[in-house]
Amino acid sequence: MTMAKPKYELILLKNMLQPGYTGSLADYERAGGYQALRKILGKVAPAEVTAMVTKSGLRGRGGAGFPAGIKWGFLPKDYQGPKYLCCNADESEPGTFKDRQLMERDPHQVLEGIAIACYAIGAETAYIYIRGEFVLGAKILEKAIAEARAAGYLGKNVLGAGVTIDVWVHRGAGAYICGEETALLESLEGKRGLPRVKPPFPATAGLYGKPTVINNVETLANLPHIITRGPEWFASIGSPPKSTGMRIFCVSGHVKRPGNYEVPMGITCRDLIFEHAGGMRSDKPLKAIIPGGASASFFTPEHLDVKLDFESVAQAGSMLGSGGVTVMEEGTSMVWAALRLMEFFHHESCGKCSPCREGSSWLVQTLRRIVNKRGRMQDLETLTDLCQNIAGRTVCAFGDAEVAPILSTLKYWRHEYEELIRTAEANGSSELLMPAAARH
Amino acid sequence: MVETVKLTIDGHHITVPKGTLVIEAARQVGVMVPHFCYHPKLKPDANCRMCLVEIEKMPKLQTACSTPAAEGMVVRTATTVVNEAHKSVLEFILANHPLDCPVCDQGGRCDLQDFSHEYTPTTSRFIEVKRVFPKEYFSPLIETQMNRCVQCLRCVRYCDEVMDVKALAPSGRGTMTEIKHFTHHELDCEFCGGCVQICPVGAITSRLSMYEFRPWMLKRADTVCTYCGDGCQITIQTKENQLIEVMSAQGAGRNNGDLCARGFFGYHVSTHPDRLQHPLIRRNGELVQATWEDALEWVAETAIRLKLAHGPNAFGGLIGARCTNEDLYLFQKFMRLVVGTNNIDSSARYGQINGVRALRRVQGTSRWTVTFDDIVSAEALLLVGTNVTETNPITGLKVKEAVKKRQATLLTIEALEPAVGTISNIANLAAHHFSVQPDGFKPAVLGLIKAVVEENLVSQPLAQKAPGYVQAVSEAVRRLSWQAIERATGSSSQSFIDATRSFTRTARAVILVGQGVLRAPDGSGLTATLLDLLLLTGHHGLPGCGVAPLAEENNDQGAVEMGAALEYLPGPSDANDQAARARLAQAWKEELPKGPGKSLMEMIEGARTGSLKAMFIVGENPAGSLPPSAGTMEALQSLDLLVCQELFLTETARLAHVVLPACSYAEKDGTFTNTEGHVQSVRHAIELIGESRPDWEILSALSVLMGYPLEYGDAKEIFKEIRSLIPGYGLLGPAPTPPRPDQAVVESYLKTGYSSGLAERYTLGERRAASGERKDFSLTLLVTQTLFHSGKFSTRAKGLLQVQAEGAFSLNPADGTRLGLAEGDRVRVSNDLGEMTTTVKLQDRVPVGLALFPEHFDQEARRLLRVSTDPATQVPYYKSASVKVEKAK
Ligand SMILES: Cc1cc2nc3c(=O)[nH]c(=O)nc-3n(C[C@H](O)[C@H](O)[C@H](O)COP(=O)(O)O)c2cc1C
Ligand code: SF4
Ligand code: SF4
Ligand code: SF4
Ligand code: FES
Repeated sequence: MTMAKPKYELILLKNMLQPGYTGSLADYERAGGYQALRKILGKVAPAEVTAMVTKSGLRGRGGAGFPAGIKWGFLPKDYQGPKYLCCNADESEPGTFKDRQLMERDPHQVLEGIAIACYAIGAETAYIYIRGEFVLGAKILEKAIAEARAAGYLGKNVLGAGVTIDVWVHRGAGAYICGEETALLESLEGKRGLPRVKPPFPATAGLYGKPTVINNVETLANLPHIITRGPEWFASIGSPPKSTGMRIFCVSGHVKRPGNYEVPMGITCRDLIFEHAGGMRSDKPLKAIIPGGASASFFTPEHLDVKLDFESVAQAGSMLGSGGVTVMEEGTSMVWAALRLMEFFHHESCGKCSPCREGSSWLVQTLRRIVNKRGRMQDLETLTDLCQNIAGRTVCAFGDAEVAPILSTLKYWRHEYEELIRTAEANGSSELLMPAAARH
Repeated sequence: MVETVKLTIDGHHITVPKGTLVIEAARQVGVMVPHFCYHPKLKPDANCRMCLVEIEKMPKLQTACSTPAAEGMVVRTATTVVNEAHKSVLEFILANHPLDCPVCDQGGRCDLQDFSHEYTPTTSRFIEVKRVFPKEYFSPLIETQMNRCVQCLRCVRYCDEVMDVKALAPSGRGTMTEIKHFTHHELDCEFCGGCVQICPVGAITSRLSMYEFRPWMLKRADTVCTYCGDGCQITIQTKENQLIEVMSAQGAGRNNGDLCARGFFGYHVSTHPDRLQHPLIRRNGELVQATWEDALEWVAETAIRLKLAHGPNAFGGLIGARCTNEDLYLFQKFMRLVVGTNNIDSSARYGQINGVRALRRVQGTSRWTVTFDDIVSAEALLLVGTNVTETNPITGLKVKEAVKKRQATLLTIEALEPAVGTISNIANLAAHHFSVQPDGFKPAVLGLIKAVVEENLVSQPLAQKAPGYVQAVSEAVRRLSWQAIERATGSSSQSFIDATRSFTRTARAVILVGQGVLRAPDGSGLTATLLDLLLLTGHHGLPGCGVAPLAEENNDQGAVEMGAALEYLPGPSDANDQAARARLAQAWKEELPKGPGKSLMEMIEGARTGSLKAMFIVGENPAGSLPPSAGTMEALQSLDLLVCQELFLTETARLAHVVLPACSYAEKDGTFTNTEGHVQSVRHAIELIGESRPDWEILSALSVLMGYPLEYGDAKEIFKEIRSLIPGYGLLGPAPTPPRPDQAVVESYLKTGYSSGLAERYTLGERRAASGERKDFSLTLLVTQTLFHSGKFSTRAKGLLQVQAEGAFSLNPADGTRLGLAEGDRVRVSNDLGEMTTTVKLQDRVPVGLALFPEHFDQEARRLLRVSTDPATQVPYYKSASVKVEKAK
């Protein structure tokens, strides 16, 4: 994987960039690993650990950006009985590939984060729900878990503190939706991975109906550092108070050096793309940016100076999401780009909700028609309508996500749609509504 | 007090219990929120998104089906935004829908049609290609058309949440989601028809009525199913006097709209072509068609002649407990007054009598002291000798609801093993299961009682109130060694202790007693012992607690209460209760016949020896039901007069001098009393078939000709008389009000009543060798009920035959190995009485050492059975036998 020369003090990628670092337990320990766990286990009360995480301002890196400490605080206080932690390692958002690197290259950092979270919320069992295709990652994690168990960092009576922390790796079976936290729980329970209706939220009734916290890999990997260096330190990085810490951006597309870049939150798009990722791959100018994974609305060159933190990106009409930044150069057909993304969403809609299930198939077919120069002007109105009728009316956030590419391309590049349609009208193919195979 | 919340829906103010869903609260103020996936029986899944409503202070529209009403909530269901949302969700749902209403059986009662008419324009914006699933064969009775499916998952959720069968699942993703059954063989399930009923569109329909109707052509009659004692309320739908379909509405009856295969698919019996259409008289050895006048006159004349010659006690009467209360009541009145004899029995004799007798003895009631609702809210349920789903499927659903939704602890003692992958096996849900041989029920119950005594779990108040009783029972169980109990049951003493502990811990406990107990030797004694268990644990008499013997036949309970038994007068009152006799004599303005009366087996014996000359048999088929070894055929053949009122020419009717065509439940009015003592109205759905008539009418006509007119204008008039004589037939409410135990009777039982027969009740009895010890080729054959058949005629229901059309000899795979038998092998099964050849089926759920054969296909199996008669209750037992098994040549 291409790696830029670090410009800031790295946190999460630091170890793995050291020459010769293998991610073994010995390497991790040498780099100061598991000190955070030692520091708190049996010494700092769980509630205090949660308080530290809240104070650090750490927000979820999985997509929604929910403050981690506050999420933990939702667990019922006086509850006896089992609680669970689920590490969301399903990373399936197109353009996102940071969790994979964290797990493959420095697995103990993730495990230590898991152990800290377990301790803080009082969970004795954690599951790492890992994307099925990450065969290597799963193997590496299994091996690391065995090492950590043998060394007393996991298992029964961790570090002699009388705490049990068992970690299990569970491989998914290839559905994007299983990254949605409640679908993940269903899948873990051995059921069909369909999102649940919330409430109840996982904090009160999660895995097997028990209080459960779900956190993203990157979120968890930050924990050892917050503990070791203190919440104040963490809160001073990035653009405090709302977007603290570093963020790994997965830059892909038409740039010179695609790859994962760990930078403080709040650097601009321009900085990330031109300073870190080496700028555009050819002399064609930049045309479009997806700032936070396939579910985020497109940015245009006008947005190059938007700061990459939760608030600024949201204000500019998109979202920071999973940190997947996809860059497109001039010459890219934006209708085609929207179609490509819509094909993904259509393929992955779980089918639970009528608007998402039916809407995704309708949208993808209409887009395909337009791209294939068989569109009609009124299709654009239908597209907009359908998108608006899906968003906000579904069980999970997939419904909001899938319409973002269409709505934002329609907003910024409507003329591209219209051009395709005009061509269709000019050569009369708008009337060929049905594909040849279905016409009789 | 139930906590309540106040809210406003479209300007209506309403107060509802906390937790009520907005969609239900709306219904209460008359606002119908459109919906597909919501169903009051199922956990909300909120997948169709049809029920979106506006709720003040919430930014997005909310699904009314999954949002609980909250204090001060302001809901709007008809704003522009909401209307637009409904329209748009429908537009989505219709996108891939084939709109093939003209060929869809749901047309006319389809939620999608209705909502579409209400919300969508007539043209669609969808011009893309619709998704099409290739047509697949699903099952013999259930048709699927997945292009119509709206993916609401109601069918899947029902099959799992309510039925616990889990036969259906969505497969595929997104628009390619289809409802399928698992694996590649055809649908293997309980065929309850629930998915057909609950599907809001025409994606799952019944093949029995395919393309035969439009809903508006159908005439409906609300009546009661006759297949088992649960007494489900059904709606029979007919078209031009043809039975088209059966359904049961949500909220209807004690079954709350749920049915089993027999109720849903088994309705074709009434119109079977073999139905008797005319009276038959035997002339020159042959049964030939006759007019009603000729037949009735001939019967009356012969009967009068025989009565003059041999006296009234040369007559016997037998009636099936599938008849209405009105039939049963008039039958016993006919026998007691017109004929003048107490030789009266019914098919309740086969088992129900045992249960009633025990209840009367210990607690002075003839009915359950609990209801289905108490089963649902029980914390502990003990099922003895009943795979309840197969005999009483709806009682089974109540048990499933208690266990699955309310976390009740289930204890089962049954001749079945829990086994993965088997349906309708209640033991699969048990927390404590004792798998016993048919003779192991009693040892297992005694094991529980021994554990209660030895673990000091005996109720303290009881010990103080009835020290003698507690001491006697304690001594009796202490005398039994754990080793002997373990040997007799195959279960460890610890397992009895564990089970007892979880049973005694609870506040509400119900014991269900099934045919394995009631139709086996000393069924009444073991039922009484189960009452002992409830007394000892202190549950007896507490609200929601009780022992409930399960009625097999739809009106078993009514038969006893109508007095269709030698030992009971209507009430039931004991036949020798002088006060009751006097009351009845006054009402009937006639003295009652004296003398003991003969039971079913005694009548057969009497016929064989010549002391009985004539029999009236109404809707009962002893020649077919009892094994040949009972000699029923020969006995009945030697009668001078055998009159049968029947639907079909049964084995018994074939022997009759006169056969009078009776009508089925679908053609008559009256009442049935279900297993929990709930009296329900039966209403005719079709016109009489041929010249058939209701049984009571035939009896009434005969009474006139025999010079003692019992005349009634209609069934209602008989019911009026019943109501004046029998408590519990007063007001017919939506649910039964069960009696409380009679404290005087309980006290007398605790004082001295318990002691009679105590020694026999508290011994383990002889037992057959368990198979581990068997070196020979023997097995214990047990003739059992199956889910797909019940009663005498279900094998004439074409729907049920498509699911199960023949019997198989089911045994454990381990026994299969021991005996060298594989699935599908033909085997010769024999003992000293006879032999049969049948096919082997290997099933994990059959315990080692046992072989099961379904009673509805047991004409051959019955040859291997020997009848023994209970000396106390005259109940004939013939359900099991020791047999030798070898591969057929
Ligand atoms: C359709 C969909 C897919 C998602 N996929 C992922 C994923 O692959 N990985 C992930 O961490 N979170 C994913 N999420 C977000 C999770 O639901 C959840 O918010 C997150 O795991 C919480 O962890 P965090 O608070 O640490 O970010 C997805 C959400 C949706 C709606
Ligand atoms: S919004 Fe789409 S992905 Fe999410 S639950 Fe509904 S159908 Fe499934
Ligand atoms: S078959 Fe019927 S009940 Fe089942 S999911 Fe489809 S529409 Fe719903
Ligand atoms: S057989 Fe019993 S359970 Fe089945 S529908 Fe009829 S009454 Fe109900
Ligand atoms: S009825 Fe509420 S979402 Fe289906």
